[in-house]
Amino acid sequence: MLGYIARRLLYLVPVWIGISILAFALSLIAPGDPARQVLQQGGIDAPSPEQVTAMRRELGLDQPGPVRYVRWLSSAVRGDLGRSIRTGEPVLQSLADRFPRTAVLALIAVTLGLLIAIPLGIISALFRESSLDQLARIGALVGASVPSFWLAYLLILLFAVRLRLLPVAGAAEPRNVILPALTLAIGAAASLTRLTRSAMLEELVQDYVRTARAKGLRERAVIVGHALRNALTAIVTVTGIRLAALLGGAVIVETIFAWPGIGKYVVDSIFNRDYPTIQGFVLFTGTIVLLVNLTVDVSYVWLDPRVRLGARNR
Amino acid sequence: MLRKRRVLRAAVMGLVALIVATACSGTTGGPGATGTAKAELAAVQELTVATAADGYRNDDKRTTIGMYPLNANIFDTLVTLSPDYQVMPGLATKWEFRSPNTYRFTLRSGVKFHDGTPFTSKDVVWSIQRIAKQGGGTVGVSEQSAVAVDDLTVDITPKGQNLRALQQLVHPTWSIAKAGSDAAKPMGTGPFKFVEYVKDQRIVVEANDDYWGGKPTLRKITFRFIPDANTRVLALQAGEVQISDIPKESAKTITGDFTVSRSKVGAYEAIYVKIRPKEGYDLGQDKAVRQALAYAIDKKQVVESVWQGNAEVIQTMIPPAILGSEAGRITGTDRDVAKAKKILDDAGWKAASDGIREKNGRKLQLTMVVGFPNADTHKPMPEFAQAQLKEIGIDAKIVTTPDTASYEARLAKGDGDLWVEAGSQNDGNPCFLPDLLFSSPIPGGDEESNMYGNSFAPGESFDATIKRCREATSTADVQKAAADAMKLLVDEQFVVIPLAGTYRINGISKKVLDFVVHPAGVQQRWDSVKLAK
Repeated sequence: MLGYIARRLLYLVPVWIGISILAFALSLIAPGDPARQVLQQGGIDAPSPEQVTAMRRELGLDQPGPVRYVRWLSSAVRGDLGRSIRTGEPVLQSLADRFPRTAVLALIAVTLGLLIAIPLGIISALFRESSLDQLARIGALVGASVPSFWLAYLLILLFAVRLRLLPVAGAAEPRNVILPALTLAIGAAASLTRLTRSAMLEELVQDYVRTARAKGLRERAVIVGHALRNALTAIVTVTGIRLAALLGGAVIVETIFAWPGIGKYVVDSIFNRDYPTIQGFVLFTGTIVLLVNLTVDVSYVWLDPRVRLGARNR
Repeated sequence: MLRKRRVLRAAVMGLVALIVATACSGTTGGPGATGTAKAELAAVQELTVATAADGYRNDDKRTTIGMYPLNANIFDTLVTLSPDYQVMPGLATKWEFRSPNTYRFTLRSGVKFHDGTPFTSKDVVWSIQRIAKQGGGTVGVSEQSAVAVDDLTVDITPKGQNLRALQQLVHPTWSIAKAGSDAAKPMGTGPFKFVEYVKDQRIVVEANDDYWGGKPTLRKITFRFIPDANTRVLALQAGEVQISDIPKESAKTITGDFTVSRSKVGAYEAIYVKIRPKEGYDLGQDKAVRQALAYAIDKKQVVESVWQGNAEVIQTMIPPAILGSEAGRITGTDRDVAKAKKILDDAGWKAASDGIREKNGRKLQLTMVVGFPNADTHKPMPEFAQAQLKEIGIDAKIVTTPDTASYEARLAKGDGDLWVEAGSQNDGNPCFLPDLLFSSPIPGGDEESNMYGNSFAPGESFDATIKRCREATSTADVQKAAADAMKLLVDEQFVVIPLAGTYRINGISKKVLDFVVHPAGVQQRWDSVKLAK
């Protein structure tokens, strides 16, 4: 098992370097002058050429691209992603400050989504073509089709403006997380319900399910212990992808709900050509995505022993 | 001075506004005053305000907490800007210009910082030096620029010749902080004291009962950073905040337990015409084309249909109030299709079979670039202008750029004929925008600094006028020179087509009294505001 994880970790190194090159290259090809941006952020709408030149020097922008990349990467591996042009704060610190909020939101949303999707998907598969199944499928279709910003506004209108049960936006108190998490959970639940249903339908007609039933296992054990366990491989894969995407920041939802997570922060940085932050964000979230993928891969070993055997055979 | 850069705007503003309007009940507010002080006041004077995304910088060199872009009234400036753009006393009670390049300020006596220490000229010197270390700001100061003459007199001499320093010093980036204070814990002389700043969430201030301008009635203000404009309005409707800005597109449709109040004109919408040549983008060199453009667009329709009445027709681009009585000299243009057509006919631009005019085998096709501060800000004005230009035989192709940086990158290359911009006037210098946008480029100067000049500078006559504006020493002379510059741009060279002056619009709870919307957001005052029962 440890050997398997070590091998997977080694595979990540070239991918991570590729991400770092991509992250850095963004700053070279995107339009706009960060030095001018810093000065304008400070209230100077028309900085003089001297001010711009001095700022370029201060930010190290007067150096050639490859030199800047090597400096940046060597600092990055030591945990220094530079300072934000927009806010002046250390980038890693800013990302680390905001990431827990995004992680909380993403984990609650995905958990909520799974709690809705798995039972609904199983029921839908077990009672295929019943009105319950039809209802679940329509619900999933609607949930997957409704844009998150639309859903967010509707939920605010209902729960905050009309019923006054929940706050509109912000992160001042724990219940602030409910509406953004619900918005994201509905989208996640919709796609996961459809996936669970189709994966379960596939498993339920397999020979091992018939065998399990023939040997007298209780239906619950057949469904949960056998069919669902096999269906989980696909569900875990998609959940991992969705979780990784949300950990990179649910930009629209965070913006609408003024949730001070990583997504909103990076969008502000993009609009302000805050290259150190954008680069740091790409590297940071790229690393998170790689780690989530690694976790998913490792989970396959638990879910499906054939993965481990396959690894041994190699 | 800064032109507003709105960084995020939901693409579905109108649709959401419609939902909000239909989903909520309550009375419809209208433009006007925000109440009177005669009402019985609430026992708890705590106000919550929704404001846009947190734009403060927070580092050891350039901290702007409490100052800019959200002015939390923690600090005072030496001079302030009235809602009609006149320079007024602040921490300085009077000032005089001392040739060749110095302003001498007499400081207000008896003023104390929030920790009780007295305010003196050394605090002004320290604050100016702090900005000098950051690069010198708009005024262009060095560490030697501010000199304390005595405890209550200070001289400010910019590095280079700058007679507009007085008008620039009204901007809150020129706030006066206590000498030696930590910028992350703002220490000013303003009507409110700093309590708490939580990045991306809120800044909280409380009343400064020793304020030299009088004790504020409000005890506490919480400014909540809510980046999405729709969410700010929803927070107002839910009663979570008592004041929020309202997008002009939805000001007429949104309802709730609040009134809608608007400022005088502070921002503008305008089209600049590329007057300087660039291969493929040189038709704006033809004065007849520029003149016809100016007569083609119906500004009243822009105001009434596009901006739904939340703007007014202006002919000056910058707020007319800043030019005083001189503003009346700029006559501008109104839509006159027959006149526009005749101008083009006389210039040899003849309509072809497809209705688009031609001259010497070249079609009258213009590229209209939309993207400052972002494309969404202007919607649907460009399409409206495009349709009206077609009526006189001009084919305008719309190119949108997503944000300021990509817009400026295109402008630096000069790839466009018509450039649509929205901006705002945030200080008292009427020369600034015309100078920035239309002065001739400096040979060998910074490429981006020259990008406007390379496209829009009409030449020597304008440069001479704007020089006069820069060097004037009295308000009357500044206004006269700025008006001359504007007249040359609008009435003589047709290099800019001012379309509308836009208002700042706020939704204000009916319990909020005496809130006056300042046309420049960074100058907003909070010390007169009260809450009724």
